[in-house]
Parts: sequence; structure tokens; C-alpha cells
Amino acid sequence: MSYAPEQASVANPQGWRARLRGRFQRWVKRRIPPSRSVTLDQKRIFIMPSRVGFFFLLCLAVMLLTAINYENNMSYGLTFLLATLFIVAILHTYANLAGLGVHAVLARAAFPGQQTEFDLRLERGGKRPRFDLRLRWPESSEQRINLADSASEVLRFYLPVGRRGWYHPGRLLIETTYPLGLLRCWTWVDLDLCAVVYPQPLASPELPGQAALAGDGGALPMPGSEDFDGFRDYRGGDSLRHVHWKGLARGQSLQSKLYVAHAERDRWLEWEAFAGLPVEQRLSHLCYWALDFDRRREAFGLRLPGTEIRPDSGDTHRELVLTALALHGVERPA
Amino acid sequence: MKVDEQIPRNALVWIMLGMAALLAPHLGRLPIWVLVVYIACALWRLQIFRGAWHFPRRLVKLGLIAMAGTGIWLSYGSLLGLEPTVALLLTAYAMKLLELARRQDAYVLLFLGYFICITEFLFTQDLLVVLYSLATVWLVTAALVALHQGVQEHFRFGPLRQSGVMLAQAFPLMLVLFFLFPRIGPLWTVPVKTHAARTGVSDNMSPGSISSLSKSDEVAFRVSFEGEIPPRANLYWRGLVMSRLQQGTWSAFNYYDVPAAERRAAEVATEGEPLRYSVLMMPTQQNWLYSLRYAESSQAGIMQAPDFRLFRPVEIEEQYRYQVRSWPQAALEPVLSDWRRLAELRLPDSENPRTRALALQLREEAGSDAGLVEAVLARFREESFVYTLQPPLLGENATDQFLFETRRGFCEHYASAFVTLMRAGGVPARVVAGYQGGEVNPVNRTVIVHQFDAHAWAEVWLEGEGWRRVDPTAAVSPSRIEQGLEQALAGEGSFLADSPLSPLRYRRVDWINSLRLRYDALTYRWQSWVVGFNSENQLQLLQRYLGELTAQKFVLILLGSGLLVLLPLAAWLLRQRGGATLDGLSREYLAFCAQLARRGVERAPGEGPRDFARRVAAALPAHAEVVAEVTGLYENAQYAASRDSRRDAAQRIRRSRRRLR
Repeated sequence: MSYAPEQASVANPQGWRARLRGRFQRWVKRRIPPSRSVTLDQKRIFIMPSRVGFFFLLCLAVMLLTAINYENNMSYGLTFLLATLFIVAILHTYANLAGLGVHAVLARAAFPGQQTEFDLRLERGGKRPRFDLRLRWPESSEQRINLADSASEVLRFYLPVGRRGWYHPGRLLIETTYPLGLLRCWTWVDLDLCAVVYPQPLASPELPGQAALAGDGGALPMPGSEDFDGFRDYRGGDSLRHVHWKGLARGQSLQSKLYVAHAERDRWLEWEAFAGLPVEQRLSHLCYWALDFDRRREAFGLRLPGTEIRPDSGDTHRELVLTALALHGVERPA
Repeated sequence: MKVDEQIPRNALVWIMLGMAALLAPHLGRLPIWVLVVYIACALWRLQIFRGAWHFPRRLVKLGLIAMAGTGIWLSYGSLLGLEPTVALLLTAYAMKLLELARRQDAYVLLFLGYFICITEFLFTQDLLVVLYSLATVWLVTAALVALHQGVQEHFRFGPLRQSGVMLAQAFPLMLVLFFLFPRIGPLWTVPVKTHAARTGVSDNMSPGSISSLSKSDEVAFRVSFEGEIPPRANLYWRGLVMSRLQQGTWSAFNYYDVPAAERRAAEVATEGEPLRYSVLMMPTQQNWLYSLRYAESSQAGIMQAPDFRLFRPVEIEEQYRYQVRSWPQAALEPVLSDWRRLAELRLPDSENPRTRALALQLREEAGSDAGLVEAVLARFREESFVYTLQPPLLGENATDQFLFETRRGFCEHYASAFVTLMRAGGVPARVVAGYQGGEVNPVNRTVIVHQFDAHAWAEVWLEGEGWRRVDPTAAVSPSRIEQGLEQALAGEGSFLADSPLSPLRYRRVDWINSLRLRYDALTYRWQSWVVGFNSENQLQLLQRYLGELTAQKFVLILLGSGLLVLLPLAAWLLRQRGGATLDGLSREYLAFCAQLARRGVERAPGEGPRDFARRVAAALPAHAEVVAEVTGLYENAQYAASRDSRRDAAQRIRRSRRRLR
């Protein structure tokens, strides 16, 4: 979308247009630095007559010509009243955006090709109602909202994510033409909100190296082969299968049965297991297997160059592993 | 169509209200079927809103437009001229409702609405109409605001408030622009009013033409004198001089009826101080001006006719103000040219034989021209002539019939009969039409001349004296001249009989009369200072207050006044926007957090007060007690309902906080 500044990229050096756009984006970035929480002020707000505003000015010109040609003072009066109304509208339109608080709430992780949720909160600031606020990211649909009766409002956007890594949706465009539609007041804010994009899961026939580790003849390890070790208090994330139901029935507190897998029998997702494949494909296979283990509720660990996640299971663990895979070798966008 | 391009229901209501308000003042000038078109289009649009009907197809729309054009053409006889153009605009405006689907259409409709307000001003700039139009502009602007407030569950008056506030804020700057914007002449010629009724005294006079004017209570003109106002019996406002009698109708000479040598008025010896006054005339669509005799005006565009009246070559379509000097005592044309003498003596042959005979007889008895004048006036005075607004109809030889049979007539009957008698008796004479008298408004000392003051009288030429004014009506009904038409017709009860609501009928009710006169004074001020504001006034005004005008000064004033108005407005608007407003309690707690941050324990974003307190207690055991106290106070007060307990908690936090220092 041409009206919103995209990531400052020097990748497209051809032509003065691109250079100009690059320069403009750098300027916008300096002027409106990324921040998770923004209160709009005059440094961030731009204002120009809208297309309707130019049409209005044209109408005023016709009215002025009528006044001149008929030498009609009341026509002069009305024309001037509308002209100053236009000027007053500049202030009102600006005030409709100024002082508005925009806060990043969350960006959900997603797999490539999916839509993810970006939540943000708008804070009215002050008691005066705000109307006709229109918000959109470059790739989302537009949302229109009034902050008249409530002091704050949470908005959810759905954005299609791209490749593995950080998905940065660009700058959020916030615009308004309230109250008269004659002026367009807008800002681009970078909420410093990024979504994690996991690798695309890619099946591989088997998990190399895992067969040898299993010890007994090539088959994939069966669930429930760990040794029982004892009890501990139930924690969120513990598998329901490991809950000590009998104890609970006897009136004891909720406890989990604790199993300890012996080191050589732990399932590890190894970076080196897919040696020789391209980086993305390796990560995709690892991702597939991580999901696979998680589905079967087996504990597993992950070893990537520079990262090691100890074997565990549960939702939190899965997120941790997938995030590690997603962000392998990726810098957080500045 | 995207949902957000649709017109919210509330906005639709405001738009329709605005349209109705825009149409109302035009209704009197429009053919009635335009109103029907409005109502039909509004109903159609409502049906579309309810989902019952559809927007019309392109072909239907074209058909409607063609029908509207034909209708206008049939109603007005042409499509040119101001009235048909405005009527066409209004009809098209109504039909635009059937195209009102998206926001863009609404913008076009509303901006056109502002323009329709202006077309109303082309017809009248009356104070009340202007105030009404201001209210209409308010409504239209409210519709524009409502268009941007999105869909609301209930109908709200918020848009009216918002637009009212904005218009009020725009007003001061509008005044600055109004008085500073240079008034340049028209850039090109524009359609003029072709269907406006000519008002005031017309250019010919037959029985009944003045009495029909007497039924109107409209203002003809207002006069403000520089010095004393002359007594009302002397206020004979000359408009037209009628020297030609054809088929019972008196009319004035056209410019080309007069030989070239006679087209300039004779020199008049003026002595002494003149009466100085200015006349503010309402539009008449005619070109003669009213003045006391003998009048001169040095104003550009005013000419003098050979019969000593003033006129303007251009018809008076807007209100018009002119300055006049008058010498009431000056002798007019002591020497009469042969052509003029013949012209002022001519009578149609073989009409009114009894009148002619009477004139010759009276002239013989009187022995002089002046004697004839006296004899005729005495006859009017002494015989049973009646001054009435309801004279009987006259047939052939109207003057004979009037003088010898009916003897009831209005001023035009007396003036016409008198001049006929004079001419038949060999005395040059002519009819003068204009207004007599006027009402002095004590509020601002102006003389208000109404249409019912219309009058006709006579001028006779006497050797050695020139033209002398003679008013035969005064002989019949002296009260008409001394006190006005209302008194003269008191017995008959016919004064303004057709307009029962006219405030002039209630002149005897004190408060109504005082209200009417105050309003008239306001109107005079409005008409002369606002409606009549022109480049001349502008220059005077600016030079009086600003001294010599330079371009620099002009720009400075424009910018200065702009800033003067906009800066406070900006301050007011943005003061209310200064971030989230915190109450005392939250401020105290945040200050407390800031104090701890200086001691190295910072509250993480999203960290609850209790978690934070636990962390602080671990890090700064010395302050654990204070921290627990403040946190407890804050948490309890957060859920306290009353404002007082919150304020109380804030004070206690402040006290506890001191111990942290």
C-alpha cells in the first residue's frame, strides 16, 4: 500500500521515487520512533484537506463568485462563515486525534500463511468523545471506532503473516476526518509489536538418530516407558494422565506422578540430526517433530546451536520450543 | 458497497430536516408542484431506507430530470433568468435524494444545500430571513457532523451541539473577513430576476392603480434627514411626473418622446441651505427615485429628468441608497418652452364634454389662472365629494361621471379630474405620482414611507411663479395630508382591511407599536450597515479606525485577528486532551512508586501493587512497613465507592510517603 511507510529498505535502490520514499520513511521513523505505548501529539500528527475538503473549497469559490457578481453581502457573509468554519475544523479534527493513547496489547504467534491476531487498546484520554477513528495496518482491513461512551476500547486486527521469524506489520495508520470530513488528520505509529512466526511444519519419514537412542530395534519409542519416580504437587501444564487420581479420591491434595526418563532415553530434537539440509528445511522438520511429540504428550528437548531446552512437555514447553525454532538465526526488527 | 460508506440513519434524518428547512423560504416563489416533488422524493427515499423500494434506475432518473425541466419551462415560460434557474436547482436538489446512497452523495447534497442558502439571499436579505438561514446552515452542518459519527443506536442531538459550537467559533473571523474583504464589482453579468413583481408606483396611472397600492403595508423607502424633519404635510415624495393622457390613463413621457432640445432640465436658481437627507429604497424593479422637490443628487449613476425628478438608468433590483439635497422653495421653470406648454395642455378631443364646459365657465368667472385653481379647489371642498378607498367603477367619460355623478374617489380620481379641468381651462398642468407623508420612527428619527402612503397630486404652471404643487385631495380630505391614510379612512374602516395581521393595524396598542418601531429601527440599521455595506462604506470604516490603508497593514490585521481568535480556541480544545486524567489517589500512588524507583526498585509494567510490595519488602526490608501500609491503603481505596474516602486515602498515603525520605 503506497500511503503507508513500509520498512525502510534499501533493497530497491532504483529510481528517485524509491530513494525519496526511503528518505521519507527514515524521516517518519526519526519523527515517530517505535514505542509500545503512544500518546498522539503534534509531533506525530499530520493534517491536510481531504478530497472532500478540496471539493468544499471549490464550492466556496463558486459561492464567492456568486457573491461578487450579485454584489450580495449576505452571500459574502455565508461564504466567509463557511471558510472560517473550514479553519475551525482544522483545530477540531486535530483535537479528535490529539491526546489519543494507543497501546500495544499482544500479537499472537502463528504458522506461515495463517492470520494472526494483533490486539491494541485505544485510550480516550480526557472526557471529550472522539468519533470516526479509522485504524488499519498496511495488510489488515480497516476498523472504524467511536470513543464516545467508553474511555478505552480494545481492537483486534487479523493480519496474514509471512515467513518464519518476526512478523512486523508495519506502521499502524490512524486517521480521522471528524467532524466535517473536510480535513484528514492522520498518523503512522510503530507500536513495536511483532508476532512470532513458527517454521512451516514439514514431515520427514523418521526422526534420524532417534532409532538408535530408543535402544530396542528401530521402532519409535512408545509412551509411558519412563520409570516412576515419585509424587509432587500438581502444577499447571502437568499432563492430566500423570495426575494421581487415586490419591485425590482418597482425599489427598492434587498430585502428579513424577516420571524420570533416563538421560540416554530422553527424546531430543537435534539440529545435527538433519545435517546437510538447508536451514529452513531443518527447522521445518524439527517443528514437525516437536508438534508430533506434543500431540502425543511426550517430553522432548531441543538442541540448536547456542540454545538448549531441557526435555519437558506441556503447552508452555511447546511454545518455548516453537519460538526457539522460529527465532533461530533471526534478529528482532529494530 | 462497503459498510462504512453507507449513510448512518441519524445522518439521513438530519439531511432530510436540513432539506426541508432549505426549501421552506423558497416556497412562496416556487410552483406548487415542486413541493409535491420534494414530498414524493422524501417518501421514496424513506421507502428505500426501509428496504421496501429500490433506488431508481438510470433511465427513470433521466426521465424525471426531463420532466422537471419541462415543468419549469411550462411554469415560467423560459429556463433563463434567476427564478427558473433557482427553481430548477431546487427540483434537482429534491431528486438528488433518490441518489443518496453513499457518503459522497451526502457531501454533494449538503454542499449544494449551502449554495441554496445563498440563492435565497439573492431574493431577500431581510434580517429575519438571514437569521432563519443561519439556523438552516446550522442544521446542514449538523447533518455533516452526523455523517461522521457513525451508526448510533438512538437519535442524538450531539451533532447539533458540535456544529453549533463550531459555527459560533467561526463567527468572529467571519466578521473580520466580511468587513475587510475588498468589494469589487461584478466580474460578468449574471442571470437577473425576470419574474419579480414591480412594486411601488407604476409608470402609468388610471383609476384604481394607487388605491391598490394602499392595501399594502410594505415599506417603500426609509429616509433619514440630517437636520430637522419637515412637517408631514410638506413631505411630498415625487416619483413620476405624468403629462400624457391617453384613453383615461396618465403616463410619463419616455426619454425619446421629448425633443432633444428639451431633454435637459432647466436651470433652477437655488438659494439658502438645502434639506439634506438620504433615502434607502427597497427594490422596485423600476428606475425612478423618490425625492422632495426640488432635488439634486451628486451621486454617480443618478440622473435628472426635464420634469425635475430623479431616476437611475438601471432598474433598482436590490435595495438602493442615495443622498439628496432639496430646496423646497426654489421656483421651477419660470419660463415655459413652447413645446412644454403644448405638451402640458394637451387633452384628448371629444372626451368629457361637461368637464370642458365647466372648466371654461370657471375660468371665465375666476378671471385668472390662479383664480381657476382656487375655484376648483373650493368646488371640491364645498360640494359633497367623498374621499374613499372603495370608489364606484367609472365608464366612458370617466371624469364627467366622477365630477357630476358619483363624486366618490381616491387621490388618483381627484388628481386626474383636477388636471383635466386645468388643461381644459387653458392652464398647463400635470399629474405627479409618488408618496405623501410617512411615519417618523422616534427610535432612530427616520421617516418610514409605506406603500399605503402612495399618492397622486397635481402641478400647475402659473405665470411668474413656475410650477406650483396643488393637492386636490387635501381639499376633500385634509386629514389625509395632516395625519395620514389611517385617519382619513377611520370612518370607513378600510385601512389595511385585507391584512388583518399587519402590526400597523395595531398602532394604538402601545407595546406592539413600540416593538414594531424598534424592529424597524433595527431593520434600518441592518439594511444600511450590513446589507448595504459597499466599497464606499468599507473605505470610510477602515480609514476611520485604521488610518491610511496599506497592503502591509491589511495583511497584518487579517493575520492578527486570525491568531487572536484561533489561539484561544486551540488552547481550549487541546487543554481537554492532555493525556489521561488521573485522580488524586492514583497520582499519590504513582509518586510513591517513583520514590521507590529512585531507591532502585522499579515497578514493572503490569505488575500489581501486591506483587510489587512483596518484591520491595524483599529488596528494602527497612521500608517494608511503610510499603505495606501504602499498598493496603491504595488497594482498599480503589474499591471504595465514595469520593471522600478516596480523597482521604490519598492524604494518608501522602503522609506515609514522607517516611520514605
